[in-house]
Amino acid sequence: MASIIAVKKLDKHFKVRKFHRGRFSGFQNFFTREHHLVRAVDGVNFEIQSGELIGYLGPNGAGKSTTLKMLTGLLVPTGGEINVDGFVPSKQRKEYVSRIGAVFGQRSTLWWDLPVFESFELLRHIYKIPEKLFKKNLDEFRELLELDTFINTPVRSLSLGQRMRADICAALLHDPKILFLDEPTIGLDVVAKERIRQFIQHINQDRGTTVILTTHDLSDVEKLCNRILIIDEGKLLYDGQLEQLRQKFGGKRQLVVDFFENYPEATIEGAEIVEINGARITFEFERDSIAASDLIGRLSSKYRIRDLEVKEPEIEETIRRIYEQQLLK
Amino acid sequence: MQNSIKLLNKYISVNLRSQLQYRLTFVFEVFGTILLTLTEFAALALVLLKFENIGGWTVGEVAFLYGTINASFGIMDMFFSGFDPRNFGRHVRMGTFDQLLLRPINITLQVLGLEFQFRRIGRIMIGVGILIYSVQTTSILWTGEKAIVLFFAIIGQIAYFGGLFIFGATITFWTIESIEVVNILTYGGSDLIAYPMNIYPELLRKFFTFILPAIFLNYYPALFILGRPDPFNFPPYAHWLSPFAGMLILFFSLRFWRFGITKYQSTGT
Amino acid sequence: MRLFIEIAMRAFRLQMSYRAAAIAGLLTNFFFGILRAVVLIALYDGREEMLGLSLQAAITYTAITQAVIGYLSAFSWYDVANTVYSGEIGSDLLKPINFYSYWMARDFGRAMAALLTRGLPIMVAYEIFIDISFPNFLLNWGLLILTVLLSWVVSFSWRFIVNLPSFWIPNAFGIGRFFFMAALFFSGFLMPLRFFPDWVVKLAYLTPFPHTVNTVVEIYLGVLSPVEIWLAFAWQVGWIVALILVGQWILKLGLRRLVILGG
Repeated sequence: MASIIAVKKLDKHFKVRKFHRGRFSGFQNFFTREHHLVRAVDGVNFEIQSGELIGYLGPNGAGKSTTLKMLTGLLVPTGGEINVDGFVPSKQRKEYVSRIGAVFGQRSTLWWDLPVFESFELLRHIYKIPEKLFKKNLDEFRELLELDTFINTPVRSLSLGQRMRADICAALLHDPKILFLDEPTIGLDVVAKERIRQFIQHINQDRGTTVILTTHDLSDVEKLCNRILIIDEGKLLYDGQLEQLRQKFGGKRQLVVDFFENYPEATIEGAEIVEINGARITFEFERDSIAASDLIGRLSSKYRIRDLEVKEPEIEETIRRIYEQQLLK
Repeated sequence: MQNSIKLLNKYISVNLRSQLQYRLTFVFEVFGTILLTLTEFAALALVLLKFENIGGWTVGEVAFLYGTINASFGIMDMFFSGFDPRNFGRHVRMGTFDQLLLRPINITLQVLGLEFQFRRIGRIMIGVGILIYSVQTTSILWTGEKAIVLFFAIIGQIAYFGGLFIFGATITFWTIESIEVVNILTYGGSDLIAYPMNIYPELLRKFFTFILPAIFLNYYPALFILGRPDPFNFPPYAHWLSPFAGMLILFFSLRFWRFGITKYQSTGT
Repeated sequence: MRLFIEIAMRAFRLQMSYRAAAIAGLLTNFFFGILRAVVLIALYDGREEMLGLSLQAAITYTAITQAVIGYLSAFSWYDVANTVYSGEIGSDLLKPINFYSYWMARDFGRAMAALLTRGLPIMVAYEIFIDISFPNFLLNWGLLILTVLLSWVVSFSWRFIVNLPSFWIPNAFGIGRFFFMAALFFSGFLMPLRFFPDWVVKLAYLTPFPHTVNTVVEIYLGVLSPVEIWLAFAWQVGWIVALILVGQWILKLGLRRLVILGG
């Protein structure tokens, strides 16, 4: 199957002004001007198949937004190639953008003082969406995103969650093949997040829309994405399944055992005790050195076990470790 | 083209509706604009009570220049407010401009549609008011030709200053801090041609004749309509040149605007 | 006092860091200054002196007005109102310092930086390109410095007041505009007050505005008699006392309202 997005050796460099600090900084900044080069995106390669749902991760300033801006044609790369659905995004702007949808987290595409519905109407004219398609899409999205309670309210009076739902709806009215979402759940409460996640999943599965989302919230990624890309300091560090990442860098797994009686010295080869709480003992063990089943076997041959649980490390923890310890470099 | 006009109409009605939601602010702003222009003109008119004339022009005659440029600058400001460098720079920084780039229609049209400041009606009203005052005090002998010259003068002024707004908006792709300099061309330019051009030092006047052809926008049409002699001996059709001067500036500004967008897409902000 | 200086220094540094804006402002102020000088030259029409001002004095007048635009924030200043609307005022109120002096210090720092980066260069540019007059005695320089400082206090104290409606209404800028407009006219910024008919001058002196620009201009140009000079200072101080008292009183009402409504 041909890929819908192909990115080759993508570079984006910026010049950034230096500011002085300290005692005479006011005068210094007034009279001098120095720049240094920032490689916001540095030699990134990836391909995305039609219908995939991709999570694009990285700490602040890693190059996520810059990549997304290049993919949507807002920025022209310094070097390398992008091909999206047969287009070079920064060229043939009008033709290209009518095939994609984009939501940039904090900013609304909607008209501030207009009721939501009238913004949609205006978008119908802008994208020249056929009347029938517009009605069909809007009816569907209204129900799924529960827009009806505020569809006649001016955008300025919406809550953040409502606004985000309206914005996502607006980005999809023209049936785009690809949807770019930049931090779609930022600042939302749990319920609102869940609703948006379900909707994204629906769009991806039901319509086969390719979705690329950047996020800080790893539960988004855990629930939605089968494949993730991790970028840091402009370089692509990881491209693959979430599960593999966990296995590779997940660190120690934990085995929590409830015994029938207290075994204060229940030592076992291949695992370390990290916590003893009455009859409950928590062990930690390396994923590579021993299988959980072996460990359980050894334990149950020596002690009486009531219940046990194998705990995978939290994904947030894993990714934080990757950033902090720079494990992928 | 037809679709563009339809969209532009939509944009205008959207803007009108949102602005009328804040009725009190709207009235305040209109009233404020009227007073500001009136105050500036009053300062000159009051001083002329003691000084009698400026560059050989009476209060009523200067009022003709003053009224015309304020009316057309008001019209321009209303339709080109999307390009007003002060607002446009903000849109670029806030990412609104990115949103426009993500829509499949002409970008210039969208920036025009971004804002129509209907409260500029105040400046148009006071401009027309001062113009009427001028007509009453100078007893101009109107002919059809003079009316057409005035109409063309206004068209030229709108195009010229609209062009300069687009030029200024383009500058904000590079810098927003020094955008005030563009005020020299826009507000400075409109102030400049509110006075008879013969008062300026030669260098300044030549700059606004041969580099930026502002002298044809207001001064020559006024000379013709007021029936005053031309001190600079330009060809007798000079009073017709306003629309050409305006279109010239608009044309080059639009070229620069396209170049600016390309640059913006290669460096961001 | 130490705190006042610390806050003022911060504001000063912040203002100094806007280099491009300062240069742009300088060019703009200078251009408009030239324009205004040309208009005055045309009005003089070859006459050496009009209404007690020589032509050179009139040109110098335009230089001074352009030089104090930044210093006195002559066109607009809504810093306080903006913090009310943004909610930033909440954290300012938590600071263990009088809110009024806090803003006075901030504006003092800003004003000084503006005087340095926009005021002085304008005067120098005028001197280079057009030739203006300067006060000729050391005493006059001293008087000038004093009145320049006082004019800032007068200006700050009325600007502070027109920011205060923001505690009550959602768009205080509309009201503010009228005051800034009135200030431009009655302070003698648009034209020297003495060029206006008597009734306009009398009207102007019912407001605090002439005690900013016009007083600075007249003391700079040395057109006042010693008695008039002391009177001018007395007026400045009088208005300062009155405006600061009124400002603090309205501020108290506003803060009370803010506390009741919970910001």
